[in-house]
Amino acid sequence: MADPGLRRIGGQMIPITLTVNGVIQEIEVEPHELLLDVVRNRLGLTGAKRSCDVQVCGACTLLLDGRPVSSCTLLAFEARDRSVLTIEGLAEQGRLHPLQEAFIERGGLQCGFCTPGMILTAKALLDENPQPTEEEIIDFMNGNICRCTGYKKIIESIIAAAGKMKET
Amino acid sequence: MRFEKQIEILGSREKVWEFLWDVDRFITCVPGCKEAGTVEAGRIYTALMVEKVGPFRVEFPMRIEVVQNDGFSTIKAQASGSDSKVGSRMKVELEVHLMGEGERSRLSFVASVDILGKLAALGHSIIKRKADQVMDEFAQAVKKRLEGNS
Amino acid sequence: MLRRFYLEEPERVQEASDLLARYGESAKAYAGGTELLLAMKEGLVHYERLINIKKIPGLDQVKLEDGAIRIGALSTHRKLAGSPLLQERLPALVRMEQNVANIRVREVGTLGGNLSFAEPHADPGTLLLVLGTRLVAEKASSKREIPMERFFVGAYETCLEPDELLTEIHVPLQPAGSSLVYLKFGYLERPSVGLALFLAFNERERSIAEARLAVGCVGPTPRRIDEAEGMFRGKGVKEAASLISRAGEIAGHASDAIGDLHGSQDYKEHIVQVLLKRAFHHACGKLQEAGKGRGELHG
Repeated sequence: MADPGLRRIGGQMIPITLTVNGVIQEIEVEPHELLLDVVRNRLGLTGAKRSCDVQVCGACTLLLDGRPVSSCTLLAFEARDRSVLTIEGLAEQGRLHPLQEAFIERGGLQCGFCTPGMILTAKALLDENPQPTEEEIIDFMNGNICRCTGYKKIIESIIAAAGKMKET
Repeated sequence: MRFEKQIEILGSREKVWEFLWDVDRFITCVPGCKEAGTVEAGRIYTALMVEKVGPFRVEFPMRIEVVQNDGFSTIKAQASGSDSKVGSRMKVELEVHLMGEGERSRLSFVASVDILGKLAALGHSIIKRKADQVMDEFAQAVKKRLEGNS
Repeated sequence: MLRRFYLEEPERVQEASDLLARYGESAKAYAGGTELLLAMKEGLVHYERLINIKKIPGLDQVKLEDGAIRIGALSTHRKLAGSPLLQERLPALVRMEQNVANIRVREVGTLGGNLSFAEPHADPGTLLLVLGTRLVAEKASSKREIPMERFFVGAYETCLEPDELLTEIHVPLQPAGSSLVYLKFGYLERPSVGLALFLAFNERERSIAEARLAVGCVGPTPRRIDEAEGMFRGKGVKEAASLISRAGEIAGHASDAIGDLHGSQDYKEHIVQVLLKRAFHHACGKLQEAGKGRGELHG
């Protein structure tokens, strides 16, 4: 990332307040900064990945007010006064989220590169539709691309997670 | 991408040939050609090609090399240039054939255009359409210039 | 990484328009940014100023007023995909919006932005073309209505002036006994072929009173296919069905398809034909559904 001193020369700084994984952050961003870069480089949350960089693969997915967005193509200041959830924010007090457990148990990942985006998108799905059919899962998740798994295990993981979440 | 155009011109082959080598007059017929220069007369030229599609603008500073010159009948040239802003390169292979008898000439162009880099994926169809349009406009402009005045 | 730019955040249309007028080509209206930011990231365009219009209130409503549905230009695809009013009055529009791009683009991208950017490989314009849609464009000193047919001028080009903002999309209510279908085809990130068909049925005479057909994605702009429409008008459903192949051929040729990474010209024209066949049968199926209990609709 650019040297902070250089950044301020001739730049327009926009102070923003946002909640990241439940923690309030007060930062200053320049208008052209992308949310993905702020989250990864400024806040050190590297779960979200820069992959296609053109908002089609979903590896950079973050939840903004609970909804999936492509952080590679979102200006950071757009997160002002909003809540951001990254993969790092799913586990609570060291306890993995049912989705994370299910993906591990069911083998819903191989290289893991797409996984943070997959899990966050799945969370948005289950928050909206706690018992989705396989068809509904495919429809909701079809904007997240995986090169390794062939998707079957991902779908199984989401179904398993839905089952777990129903019990609790 | 390959383009072929043919035009009939009311003018002698000599007149058309002369026009083709008159860089300053010639470039006024090439749509998007902003500046042209002669590095080595008859062999190497430069030209700045600028094209705009909607909000998008590309600038290709081209280097043109004439590789074959058959005197009053055939010219073959190769040109290439890069637009670093969009990370793309354009390569053109051009064949110009001049035919005709007396006061009627026929000029035919065959252009093979390759775009490499980002634009190739992003703008393929637009480039094709634009290039076709440019070739058309160029052919019409040459005809008009030669038939209209000197 | 994007190049630096200055952000303006006007809170009124007039203010936004003034900024666009003042800064000309070095400024651009910015809403969802799902097209604009991509182009900027690729280095294909650069603006010194982005005019964020999302702070202007009242541009994201969906209402029914004076016999027309009025969609605010800042409505996101997601909002339209979930609108109860649209589900009731224009379910085909809802289905189209549900399938625009991907879930993340739908969350942030706006209908107004989509139309204004005029990307050839897009869905909404094609469907809106068969609905008698009128677009409202505003600038500091004036407001005008633009018929959809005149909006797209070329690839990435609309008839909007540089200091004009698209503020509303007006869709007249569709008559009873009509049906609307939008079909698309493609395996790349953007759609390769889009086709919209509107049929209004004259029940008493058992004929097609009105037919509107638009083809999108294959040419530089979506376009209406007058010649094919004329083939259906006044015909009974059975007779129209027998003309489908011919109409599809005409529509394919008239769509101004060009070969590119989405397919050759022949291929796209063929897909247009296939989609027209499917759309026609869908549309007649819907009419039959609507007319159940009121006798045979097929002549």
